[in-house]
Amino acid sequence: MFASFKDKIGEAVLPGDVFTLELPSPENKAKAEKLICGPGLRRDGDNVSVCKCGVLRHKPPNVFWIDSQQKRYVPVKGEAVIGIVTAKSGDIFKVDVGGSELASLSYLAFEGATKRNRPNVQVGDLVFGQFLIANKDMEPELVCIDSCGRANGMGVFGEGGLLFRVSLGLVRRLLVPQSELLAELSALFPCELVVGLNGRVWVKAASTQHTLILANLLQSAENMTAKQRQQLFRKVADGAL
Amino acid sequence: MILFNSFRTADPLEYHKSFLKENCRPDGRELDEFRTTTLNIGPISTAEGSALVKIGNTAVMCGIKAELTVPPSDTPNKGYIVPNVDMPPLCTSKVRSGPPEEQAQAASQFIADVIESSEIIRKEDLCIQKEKLCWVLYCDIMCLDYDGNLLDTCIVALLAALKNTQLPKVTINKDTDVPEVDLLQKSPININKHPIGSSFAVFDNTIIIVDPTGDEESLATAVMTLVTDEEGRLCALHKPGGTALSGEKLQHCIGRAATRHREIMKLVDKIIESMKK
Amino acid sequence: MDVNEHEVSPATREFGCEQNLLSRPDGSATFIQGNTNVLAGVYGPAEVKVSKEIYDRATLEVLIQPKIGLPGVRERAREQCVRETCEAALLSSLHPRSSLSLILQEVHDDGSLLACCLNAACMALMDAGLPMSCLFCGITCVISTEGQIITDPTLQQEKESRAQMTFAIDSIEKRVMMSSTKGSISVQELQEAIALSQRASERIFQFYRDSVHRRYSKIQ
Repeated sequence: MFASFKDKIGEAVLPGDVFTLELPSPENKAKAEKLICGPGLRRDGDNVSVCKCGVLRHKPPNVFWIDSQQKRYVPVKGEAVIGIVTAKSGDIFKVDVGGSELASLSYLAFEGATKRNRPNVQVGDLVFGQFLIANKDMEPELVCIDSCGRANGMGVFGEGGLLFRVSLGLVRRLLVPQSELLAELSALFPCELVVGLNGRVWVKAASTQHTLILANLLQSAENMTAKQRQQLFRKVADGAL
Repeated sequence: MILFNSFRTADPLEYHKSFLKENCRPDGRELDEFRTTTLNIGPISTAEGSALVKIGNTAVMCGIKAELTVPPSDTPNKGYIVPNVDMPPLCTSKVRSGPPEEQAQAASQFIADVIESSEIIRKEDLCIQKEKLCWVLYCDIMCLDYDGNLLDTCIVALLAALKNTQLPKVTINKDTDVPEVDLLQKSPININKHPIGSSFAVFDNTIIIVDPTGDEESLATAVMTLVTDEEGRLCALHKPGGTALSGEKLQHCIGRAATRHREIMKLVDKIIESMKK
Repeated sequence: MDVNEHEVSPATREFGCEQNLLSRPDGSATFIQGNTNVLAGVYGPAEVKVSKEIYDRATLEVLIQPKIGLPGVRERAREQCVRETCEAALLSSLHPRSSLSLILQEVHDDGSLLACCLNAACMALMDAGLPMSCLFCGITCVISTEGQIITDPTLQQEKESRAQMTFAIDSIEKRVMMSSTKGSISVQELQEAIALSQRASERIFQFYRDSVHRRYSKIQ
């Protein structure tokens, strides 16, 4: 039960599993103490306990986290998400981001927005923004600018396109640098793709048909191995659909 | 005193823990000490049997009504008992009027299970004539004041009320096949087993206290009710979730429950004795 | 707890499980023990009603739907058992002021229904990715009229028994989290039943682990 972390990397772990920190040998003691626990892991004295079900991941030198297939989004500071504006009250918009609470979005948190020059945001619009405040005890706050005041790709969505939900695990797979899935997808049809870490994906391709095909492919790629997926993509590329 | 009260309001859990660390409780009791139990048997004259039980501030009234009915077809030689636990809005601010809340419903089910498991009354005794006539006992248990440990109080009230129950003699007229009730000839029902409950609350996985008050119940990480009979057998080990409990702790609780059984039996016998005088 | 290596694990029926089979809930699972089958769905952490809001933890709501008819007093008592067991396992303080709802649908009852509900609940909570300090499993034992203790009984065995006990066991220390009994039991019998359940729990936890491994084997 008290196995070392290293042996379990890439394997599925369950809540309640406990790991010891690597026994620090004198020379790398400082390094072992600086272990960083990501989502799903909790420090408990000298041990690390798992509290989420998923695959244990490791990023050298000392970052560990659990990659789980959950569907419900929990806001995290700095994450970029797609939200739906549900209400407009005074100076703020209420935005549904799929979490347990609506996030607030100030009308000043857009590029170039001033008190005089309000952004054109209507109820029902989609916005792409990042969390400025997200912790369990406070209402989450969204902004559509980066720290320099630039939009940097964030803001209100334009006309057209299709929004759908996928699992949070799939979203993270899409967003890893050099994602195979993303490369294969973009090789299929040229498209505009916006991926929010809250499990929402927005696609716009040249035609409605292509948009729908892309959406369906993404949703079905969820439970496929790489091989199955490539097979399916090849079939689509050959014009099976 | 003011400081103490604000401590209690600000952080009730720490307040209780600071007492438990010293092996005592905010109301001055030891960890394994029950509150004063008082018993009043037969306060309702219109019911066949009744009892009012108080454990500390918790007060429960139990009334028993008997009716004649046809035995259920699957058990033609048995009568039956219908218990019901009611927690009206009167007893605590946590309850709103309307349909019974989960706690009251769970308590009703628990009492029904205890009646079934302990065989407090042999159901055959309630049958008057096979397939024709039997008694049904409606045991209505009403919580008047709620301050924790509802289940223990309910069981004592039920047992005391059943011990107080007098059923009239019923004969079936052979010619007309009509039951005749002789209200002058009443006899007590035969109590087969005497189940008594003991409730425990667990703090911090380690500290076990008996007979929790309402505050203690809501702050504890787990509560448990053990029901034993006079032979030391368990009729119920009811622990609806909460933190886990080790075997030794459980053994300790079983021991305490046996002592509690003797204490309550002595009390019940004493009250019944005093009523005869 | 100490388990003797060469003691045979108590007999249980075949287990079956599938996670994430429903599209709408945030977590779902079906658990099969022999012919007993329970379907579970979890929603949350979601928005909570103001009247049910708890400032320092999530509000957990459990609903048990019987196969036939409306839920009654018996279901309420079961709901209480499942809810308080889940509350002890979940780290609900990580999601304050939110609601978690767990819906359990009885698909078929062939004995050990409460145990199956607990197992389905645990699998569904895991699937929803909710933070938990430990896992739990449910095991039912009955004492037959000859005094023999049978684990994971069928409905027939339950009917023929003189006492029945259901325990929830935690995955870390294998201790009893929940207990619900019926019938009169001696202290000796109770201890035997707990020991048997603890041994049977190992097999269920191993089954949990195998099903999760199977599920995550596709995603590497």
